Amino acid sequence: MDNSGKEKEASALMAEAEKKLKSSQSFFGALFGGSSKVEEACDMYARAANMYKMAKNWSAAGNAFCQAARLHLQVQSKHDAATNFIDAGNAFKKADPQEAINCLNRAIEIYTDMGRFTIAAKHHISIAEIFETELVDIDKAIAHYEQAADYYKGEESTSSANKCLLKVATYAAQLEQYQKAIEIYEQVGTNAMDSTLLKYSAKDYFFKATLCHFCVDMLNAKLALQKYEEMFPAFSDSRECKLVKKLLDAYEEQNVEAYTDAVKEYDTISRLDQWLTTMLLRIKKTIQDDESDLR
Amino acid sequence: MSSDFEAYEQDFGTLTAEITNKIGRIPKLGGEEKTQLVLNVDKQLEEVRELMEQMDLEVREIPIQSRGMYQNRLKSYKGEMEKLEKDFKRSRIAYSDEVRNELLGEDAGSSESQLIKLREERAHLLDNTEKLERSSRRLEAGYQIAVETEQVGQEILANLHTDREKIQRSRDRLRETDANLGKSSRILTGMLRSFTNTPPQLSPIYVSLLSLLSMSLSYLCLSAISPIYVSLLTLLSMSLS
Repeated sequence: MDNSGKEKEASALMAEAEKKLKSSQSFFGALFGGSSKVEEACDMYARAANMYKMAKNWSAAGNAFCQAARLHLQVQSKHDAATNFIDAGNAFKKADPQEAINCLNRAIEIYTDMGRFTIAAKHHISIAEIFETELVDIDKAIAHYEQAADYYKGEESTSSANKCLLKVATYAAQLEQYQKAIEIYEQVGTNAMDSTLLKYSAKDYFFKATLCHFCVDMLNAKLALQKYEEMFPAFSDSRECKLVKKLLDAYEEQNVEAYTDAVKEYDTISRLDQWLTTMLLRIKKTIQDDESDLR
Repeated sequence: MSSDFEAYEQDFGTLTAEITNKIGRIPKLGGEEKTQLVLNVDKQLEEVRELMEQMDLEVREIPIQSRGMYQNRLKSYKGEMEKLEKDFKRSRIAYSDEVRNELLGEDAGSSESQLIKLREERAHLLDNTEKLERSSRRLEAGYQIAVETEQVGQEILANLHTDREKIQRSRDRLRETDANLGKSSRILTGMLRSFTNTPPQLSPIYVSLLSLLSMSLSYLCLSAISPIYVSLLTLLSMSLS
């Protein structure tokens, strides 16, 4: 693959497409099938963009796709415009995240206008992922995930909605918005309890909800634990429930070693992931603070 | 006189020393040696007793004034002799070690065999403990794997649930599309019929419109169809007929 050759071809195509556009805007062209000229120009822009992609010139490809999309908007073919904006967004993802987000936003507007909420939700998720990874802006990521969850709920796909909500809850708990996280985990947990496919994940959600309660206040955690045990008897058999009970006892006695021991024991069997470690560390710090206060 | 007594004392001393020596050796030996030694000691004890009698006679011949000291000595010697006799008797009964050895084998020392046995037992027990530890470690590893499997299963189930919803939605949409396509094809056939029934109305505009519509219809099969086009078709057909 001769990449530089492709680039030259691509730029040649772009120049041709611009010429076509200009010619179509003149009086003559507009009379005799101006629309077909515009469509041809669109096609040429798309082909040029693909060639830029082959040459790995992402920003140029993104620009070309954007041009194509704008032309489509002019001829009122919203679908094509939206697809081209999505392609532009994908191309920009690798070069300029901000531009990618702009393109994706415009695409989402078009889709929501047309009433295609599912696809809009999917692209909200893509935007949120960009915010997660490239431009680390957790608040905006949370906002987009929430939007996506709302759209999914509107389209009656509770499973996808739950997936987004879970991400919202994870980040909310990390940012110490415990109330939000608790609500989400409880909701998702109760949903999961009833489904045959999902009930094995339900105990995990209740465990996380109890931990968030714990971060706020110990009494809350105790009451919540009892409530969840009543709702979902299988939860009391799980190792997670036993761990939480041990942690509660250690907290009552203000015994840091017992706390650490219980956590270590759980860790030997199944490793604690990043989120869990952060939460447990926060709770441990509150125990140590209380101890130092007493002293 | 006293020199005799002293000579007797010396003899007594040597004899008792020998006797104690032999008495010490008796329990360790066995069989013929033992009987010989026992006879030896017996003889020596006899000699000691004769010595004692002679010492007694000597003491009696000593004048009464200086008899006290010798009498004391004599008493102590008699005590020693009795002790020796007792020891001798005891040594003849003290069979314990030799008999044990004869019974239990030719081990040079009984304590050594015990040590060896203890060491073996210890090695056995250590082996067993190691085996137990190994099996408990394996069990824990197995449990860990089971827990991981459960987590993987949870994820898979959640994915399946999402996919299920997606498939259901696509199926519904497809059915809708199918219904719309059916309707539009019916309308088109209706239009065709109305054309064939009223030929004079044939104008190029209608023909081109119709061809355009059928082309757009096939194009729309690929993307999502919307009811707008269907309503457009119905309007057209109504205007034509």
